[in-house]
Amino acid sequence: MSDLFVIGAGLSGLMAAYTAARAGLRVQVVTKGLGSMHWAAGTVDVMGYTPEELSRPVQRPLEAIQALAHSHPEHPYVLLGSHQVQVALEEFTALMAELGLPYGGAGGFGALAHSTSGDNLLLPSAVGALRPAFLAPSAQLAGDMARPEPLLIVGFTGLRDFYPELIAENLAKQGFQARAAFLPLSLLTEQADRNNVHLAQALDLQARRLKLGGELKRLARAGERIGLPALLGLDDHAAALADLSAAAGAPIFEIPTLPPSVPGMRLYKALRARLWRMGVRIDVGLEGIGANVIAANGTAGRVQWVETATTTSRPLKHRAKAYLLATGGILGGGFDSDHTGRIWETVFDLPLTIPQARHQWFRPAFMDPAGHPVFNGGVAVNAAMQPVGADGQVLYANLWAAGGALAGADPIQQHSLEGLAIATGWAAGQAIVRALAQ
Amino acid sequence: MPMHTQSWESVGPSLDECIKCNICTSYCPVAEVTDKFHGPKYSGPQAQRFRENGQPQSPDHSVDYCSGCRVCNEVCPTGVRIAEINARARAQAAAEHGIPLRNRLLGRSDMLGKLGMIAPGLANWGMRQGFARSIAEGVLGISKHAQMPTWSREGTFASWLKRSAPNRLRSERKVVYYHGCSTMYYEPYVGKAAMAVFEHNGFEVVVPEQGCCGLPLLNNAEFPAAEKYHHHNLEWLTPYARQGYQIVGTSTSCTLTLKEEAPDMLDIHTPEARDLALAVWDIFEWLRELHAQGQMKTDFQPIDMVLPYHPPCQYRAHHIGSPVMDILPLIPGLDVRESHARCCGGAGTYVYKKEKYQIAMDVGQELFTWVDEQRPVTMTACTSETCRWHIESATKLPCRHPIEVLAAAYGLYDLEKRKLTKE
Amino acid sequence: MKRIETEILVVGGGATGTGIAWDAALRGFKVTLIEKRDLTHGTTGRYHGLLHSGGRYVVKDPVSATECIHENRILRKTHAHCIENTSGFFAVTPEDEGPYPDKFLEGCRATGVDCAEISVADALRREPLLNPRISRVFEVPDGTADSFLATHATVQAARHAGAQILTYHELMGLIIEGGDGNRRVVGAKVRDVAKGMDVEIRAQMVINATGAWAGMVTQMAGVAISVVPGKGVMVAMNHRALNTVVNRCKMPADGDIIVPVHTVAIIGTTDERVTDPENLRIEPWEVNLMLEEGDKLVPNLSKARVVRAWAGVRPLYQEDYAGASRDATRKFALLDHKERHGIDGFITITGGKWTTFRLMAEKTVDLAASHLGARKPCITATTAVPGADQGNYWLGHRLHEIEEQKLQGQLICECELVTRAMLENAAKQNPLLTLDDLRRDVRLGMGPCQGGFCTYRAVGIIHEMGKAGVWEGDAGHQTHAAEEWDVAYIQSPARNVNGSGSVGDRPQQQGGSVGDRPQQQGGSVGDRPQQQGGSVGDRPQQQGDRPQQQGDRPQQRAGQTPPLFNPNLLLRDFLQERWKGVAPILWGRQLKQERLDELIYLNVMNADHLPDDQLASAMTDFYLFDTTPNEHEVHP
Repeated sequence: MSDLFVIGAGLSGLMAAYTAARAGLRVQVVTKGLGSMHWAAGTVDVMGYTPEELSRPVQRPLEAIQALAHSHPEHPYVLLGSHQVQVALEEFTALMAELGLPYGGAGGFGALAHSTSGDNLLLPSAVGALRPAFLAPSAQLAGDMARPEPLLIVGFTGLRDFYPELIAENLAKQGFQARAAFLPLSLLTEQADRNNVHLAQALDLQARRLKLGGELKRLARAGERIGLPALLGLDDHAAALADLSAAAGAPIFEIPTLPPSVPGMRLYKALRARLWRMGVRIDVGLEGIGANVIAANGTAGRVQWVETATTTSRPLKHRAKAYLLATGGILGGGFDSDHTGRIWETVFDLPLTIPQARHQWFRPAFMDPAGHPVFNGGVAVNAAMQPVGADGQVLYANLWAAGGALAGADPIQQHSLEGLAIATGWAAGQAIVRALAQ
Repeated sequence: MPMHTQSWESVGPSLDECIKCNICTSYCPVAEVTDKFHGPKYSGPQAQRFRENGQPQSPDHSVDYCSGCRVCNEVCPTGVRIAEINARARAQAAAEHGIPLRNRLLGRSDMLGKLGMIAPGLANWGMRQGFARSIAEGVLGISKHAQMPTWSREGTFASWLKRSAPNRLRSERKVVYYHGCSTMYYEPYVGKAAMAVFEHNGFEVVVPEQGCCGLPLLNNAEFPAAEKYHHHNLEWLTPYARQGYQIVGTSTSCTLTLKEEAPDMLDIHTPEARDLALAVWDIFEWLRELHAQGQMKTDFQPIDMVLPYHPPCQYRAHHIGSPVMDILPLIPGLDVRESHARCCGGAGTYVYKKEKYQIAMDVGQELFTWVDEQRPVTMTACTSETCRWHIESATKLPCRHPIEVLAAAYGLYDLEKRKLTKE
Repeated sequence: MKRIETEILVVGGGATGTGIAWDAALRGFKVTLIEKRDLTHGTTGRYHGLLHSGGRYVVKDPVSATECIHENRILRKTHAHCIENTSGFFAVTPEDEGPYPDKFLEGCRATGVDCAEISVADALRREPLLNPRISRVFEVPDGTADSFLATHATVQAARHAGAQILTYHELMGLIIEGGDGNRRVVGAKVRDVAKGMDVEIRAQMVINATGAWAGMVTQMAGVAISVVPGKGVMVAMNHRALNTVVNRCKMPADGDIIVPVHTVAIIGTTDERVTDPENLRIEPWEVNLMLEEGDKLVPNLSKARVVRAWAGVRPLYQEDYAGASRDATRKFALLDHKERHGIDGFITITGGKWTTFRLMAEKTVDLAASHLGARKPCITATTAVPGADQGNYWLGHRLHEIEEQKLQGQLICECELVTRAMLENAAKQNPLLTLDDLRRDVRLGMGPCQGGFCTYRAVGIIHEMGKAGVWEGDAGHQTHAAEEWDVAYIQSPARNVNGSGSVGDRPQQQGGSVGDRPQQQGGSVGDRPQQQGGSVGDRPQQQGDRPQQQGDRPQQRAGQTPPLFNPNLLLRDFLQERWKGVAPILWGRQLKQERLDELIYLNVMNADHLPDDQLASAMTDFYLFDTTPNEHEVHP
């Protein structure tokens, strides 16, 4: 029997697992498949746009969190308070530095620890828009548009997931000096365009990246920084980045594009490796399908075990002292819905703050600045990340929740996906450690 | 026999779960090393929307390079039955274009097993001769580099059972043992070790009439024959299932086939198939359950050794976590290290195919490199027999079934010589 | 102002109008066709894709049934590559037992519709998901059609015969001369929507082939006719549950047909009178009804993934008719306005169904010829359109061609197997204003992810093509010489391998497709001066300083021309267009898919914070029409 049983191996689940394991708890993580890190940009977005001001990017996300307290008391950041969010982010940056995949912010590395006025980075996206992000892996940092250097965006002919001219043109429209160039795809692979991950693996070979670096050097003008699609190595990324920058003789940065996300996969693999070394079990392919609970009866109920599906529908029972739901809401598969407008949480059937009626879910415009209500609701929790009922009472004494499943925020609209995952995952881990110590 | 959707329970409609996210292709070990396979998403749920009965021809060529490792299923966040969709597409193509003789041979592991046992010494010798292997490669397309299993020099498992019948434990508690072809013809000692473990824990072992699970036929796209094999097993084994016996196997691929692969790939969803599936256990899954009930003996002798252990992709496809890692670490002195490699590359009969041999070696490199990093070690362990042979050939280290290690820890088995201590 | 002189001006770029242009051109007339948006913008692009055997009408409307079977046989040959030979079943479900099936059988005999009763066991063998409680099954020669491809093929044939086809040319008014009792339509005032230019077309005969919009056009001549738009909602399932058309064997009603077309199965349809043929609501009760009815033919079909919903309008014409729109005749109506209203030079054709478009065109041109003087006889019944040599469509053909030619690395829309070369050729050869036009050409974005991945790729590719000067500054709206516009193989991956599916080789084609250009020496593509459309960004901007708030777009309305192929506008428009068709059916798996698409475009791309957000195209408002569910779960 483990101390902590985590359902979901996304960023929030892994962050909670790390926090708990570091405190000496025995942790098991199960997941149906792999998580949305594999689709996202690989940055840590804390708050890009606030619910009040959806057209202008937030400049200082930790301050913006403080301002949320009045208008959005149910927002998970408000439940935690900006100080806890900051501590969680510091834990994350420390961990990533240790893992050899350092993340930094607008002030460079390490600036976060000493300031709540950390600015957002503005990084060029694969269409040439400016994405606000609070932390970015070192491979993306040189793209910060607050830097003065002009940009050379380099793509590869026939690479389907990256269009340098589009990026350069849109950056230029926003007043930046940017131009585009192409190199042959054969620098990456002799085969046709495949999958971003396979192309990234091609650059795990030093000979290839030195050659590429040489070509970049030929293309670049003095003073330019070079933007490339995010495929600069997978398992040998740090060396790939170093080799390329040296050979190119210019600062290099990656631009994340369509899934699969190579930066996201690097993050996942680094976290996973760390957790393995800490003795955390991660069982991929185990889908949480239900739980046996003692219902609340005046006081909080208790989860007795969680069931995961096996091949024979002879479900596996997992018992633990504490359980964490980190199944990712609609995107992660933690919520399901049908045509009647019923929407439900798939493991514990926790109540959701999403209206049970499809006519309250959507707005007419896909890009409506206010987002779609269906994506804003979820599992309501208290400040200790425990799911609560409508009356605010804890539902199960040994159950916590974190990440995309939580109510009170639309992390995609607000560009707060990783920030919420890290902060709520860390906070849930801390709360579980405290609870089990008693 | 049409290979496309026969009911909503068929694997084809699971393509609806696909959100095109590319996670499967990103983790597919075959797509990573060759562009002859365009990834599970392309061949599976994506192409499936273009397949149906009665088309002028089956459009599929590249799906043949899928090794059936099921890593795609494992990492898929939405539950698409990608590997099974691929397998059925391959079977459709085979039904139209025919199956090469080589694949028919490789599909019939029981027949090959019996043939070799006519003169096992000679057969083993022949398999080691370069000229014979070159001819086999030239004529049939069987890779001359791939390591062949060794036919048993001590008779079949069945013959040992007969000889040792008087020594068998009788008990109120019984369990059915499904041994599979490899234990029967190549590695009867794995069966002996399993029997020793069952009996040490107080179980009488029933070994009823049983046949090849048919997985090599399924993997070689010969579905009609595979269906016959499965129906035989249903006939022989379902009665035991319905009497409440647990049907436990040491070959993780065989037990997976009986549990899920045969019903899903062949679209057999009868009550018999379901009842049998519900009664089938991988041996370590069964031991873990026994241990959870406090009934597994833990009177282990220490085994002081570093043991790199690889959970095969088909073992993970049971979705039972990693029972070996719940049991083996109980043995004092044993430092079991679990590989996280996706696939050893052997993939059953895949590695024996000339055009796929190098792919198999490249896929397995992840595992072989990891094994190297654990050295110095004297042996490795793995729950699937074809994986064991492939890993041995690549690492030049003996590879044991974890049940042999457990039997040795009970003092009942010699791990080096692969013999029961009381033989 | 541009002036065009022609003999016959056809208004309406659907099946009927393009069929008329083809027929008339073959007969030797000088023809110009105008369509206000892209070809098939109207009903032709929004129906369920059935090639009628006529079985549906054998009892209710026998004349229509005979017309259908006759035209069915013709179209299978003339438009072979647009037709799939699925066959059709009329199935008697437990709800449908009664006298109708025998009447049906008799009606088939009487009208000439081939019909054979087959055993239920046979039917279930061929279609294992059919309701096992069906009691009788009749087989008829239904087929399914790709109406986009068929219209393109017809248009190409028309152009080869000398016709001029102008899309994104909107009729603004008719030019009428003469006084009382003596009036004559002599032409039309037209607006080139893409360029924002007025055009005047002079013609001897104006043919109003605008289908459900016919009444609006006749109004321009002061004539009122009763054309009722009968809205029908359709729902597409993510994959084919069936490979045969399956009809309920009963009097035609809502939701009684399932049609497998390309990679989806379409459940149709409803029938509601509406007033506006353009902006069509899709109500939850209509979606629910389709799923319930679908379940009667294929149990548990409603549990499968629904990928899209849309609505089209039938043009229902009946003189002095006031009943339920479904019961209005589906026969077509050919109105000679000289005879009826004393206005010469003006004909209206409306009503009808897709299966009979060629016949409608023939009758219409016959009437026009009777006024203008006959030329050559009609030969459309025996003339194959370009591309018909490919034979009937079969589901696996794209997969097969891609496997044979190893084009996997070229896939842009992976769901529907659209290669880069197919996309580029279609974009080069077919005028387009939005990605939705390209979608109709090659099926971009029509699969499960509904544009999640291919929208970005298509925008990038179009943008690259523009930078490479493919449209020579005219951004897609020049009318190519007829021999250069080859859409015969527009849906074939194998025929587009060399970057040229067209008849002539253009200089840009050397070395492969546009995206595969040889490495630039030292310089880069971006070296050319910032292109037009950079006006918004020319001044240096502070971070967060936007010229306009989102949602506020006063300037770019009718009367002004947005820069063509602004990539940000293309992107926004197509994402919104895809959203419009999924919002009514968003739950379960498709809801998860849409959330992933949001992650990609709103988060990773941040595409809702791009420059040029105040721009709009001629289609932007159309795409923004609200199709999100309202409270009407049941028919109010």
